[in-house]
Amino acid sequence: MDQNVIKVENLVKYFDGRCVLDGINLNVPRGCIYGLLGRNGSGKTTIIRILLGLEPPTRGQTFLLDAESSELSAKLHSRIGYVAEGHNLIQNYRVGRLIRLCKDLSLQWNDEFFNHLIETFRLPADRKVKELSIGMRAQLNLALAMAIDPELLIFDDPTLGLDTVARRQFLELAIELIQQQGRTILFCSHILSDVERIADKIGILAAGKLVVDCPLEELKERVKKLRVIFPKSAPTNLHLTEIINQQIQGREMVITVANWNKQKQTVLETFKPSSCTEIPMSLEDIFIECTNPNPVSITG
Amino acid sequence: MFTLIKREIQDNVAYFIGAVILSAILIALLIPAMYETIDFEIVFIGLSLPVVVFIIIGCAGMGVTQMYVDRTRRISAFVSTLPVTRGQILLARIIAGILAILMVLLPLTVTAVVFRRLFLPPIPIYPGLIFDISVVAFLSGFACYCLGLQTGWTSSKITPTLGALLLTCVLVSLILVKGFGLHIKAILVLFIVASLIRTWRKFMSTAL
Repeated sequence: MDQNVIKVENLVKYFDGRCVLDGINLNVPRGCIYGLLGRNGSGKTTIIRILLGLEPPTRGQTFLLDAESSELSAKLHSRIGYVAEGHNLIQNYRVGRLIRLCKDLSLQWNDEFFNHLIETFRLPADRKVKELSIGMRAQLNLALAMAIDPELLIFDDPTLGLDTVARRQFLELAIELIQQQGRTILFCSHILSDVERIADKIGILAAGKLVVDCPLEELKERVKKLRVIFPKSAPTNLHLTEIINQQIQGREMVITVANWNKQKQTVLETFKPSSCTEIPMSLEDIFIECTNPNPVSITG
Repeated sequence: MFTLIKREIQDNVAYFIGAVILSAILIALLIPAMYETIDFEIVFIGLSLPVVVFIIIGCAGMGVTQMYVDRTRRISAFVSTLPVTRGQILLARIIAGILAILMVLLPLTVTAVVFRRLFLPPIPIYPGLIFDISVVAFLSGFACYCLGLQTGWTSSKITPTLGALLLTCVLVSLILVKGFGLHIKAILVLFIVASLIRTWRKFMSTAL
């Protein structure tokens, strides 16, 4: 059996002649929590939809749990929990009916855990799904996805519309799940602090390409933001490769470099800077730098 | 599978109620006709054309509704993320459609057979007439249902709707000209197979 639960090979997707995904390659190993990031319209949801077989790819192949996405069997679906962006539930059903439908169709259903979630979220069974608030819909979707004890969880912006308390509850639940061995989570979110808290591998989509694909700690090591002060005015060209961003103001230069290593440090030292200090970067800072119009590839 | 069929029936319960009502009305029309000693075959043939037209319109409507509601409310997009395949979703839908057609035709056919045995016509007639009429009515309804499924799933509505209207006209004319014989059955079966293959391929390959 392949150790990669999710495999994306040379995935290309066009919408009305517009290239959304341009040769994406991505592997998510078993037990990994993969945070897939990108700006609005960068193709995160499209990747997830293609993975689940909801959208056909233009080119390339995707695999979930060793099976091609377009040929996912019912048995394989029973091992996958999915929380969709916008919480795509059947809107005109009552909550109770939707729960019954999901329960009847599921091959396994953890009643105890599900009831615990429903009680925690205080979801009313007699109300129609469309009458629920966005937050409640998110909670319902989450509870339905969790109830089947999935081996693979796919969250497409699951905390969208949740208040701070519900978001914290969700994250705690996710962490609880992570502690259960062998679970794999693909997690898309715009709330980068959430991703930073739980993900151990990060992928960033920009301009249709996966510009970042490496463990979170490694990413933080490899992307450096430096404040360099030169004795005279700062040079305009440092002859460094993979510069993500560069700002010059008199003697001061603030530079963000991808794949920072000893060689690059030596090149920088040849300019004899007066001082060179590292500016700490959060995932949000790295994300902003990596999604600029000319992204640099950082893959592990 | 049973859950999926149950869901389809519950979601389209209006069509099933309509089927029961239509069947009851037609049976209610048959009973006095029998007691007034009108020729049974004339009554049955006289009723069969409006029945076929009703079934054609109702079935096409059901097919369109099922697919259109699914597309707009993204029901399959949700259901297919559960332990269910797209094939099972469509199969359950088609079975629900067949059940709705049978709900009109089965009671009617059974009543007709019983009456035919109770009120024997004075002149012997072709014994398979009721069966032929029922089969053609079923095939016509199912053909229209399949066309409805196709129409409901396509974003362009004009061509399939015109196609449905054209098919209805062709079917009614064919029945009038050819009767309820083998030719029309063969034509309908071919149409159903072609229509189902197209619907199946579209449903299996398009984005949900």
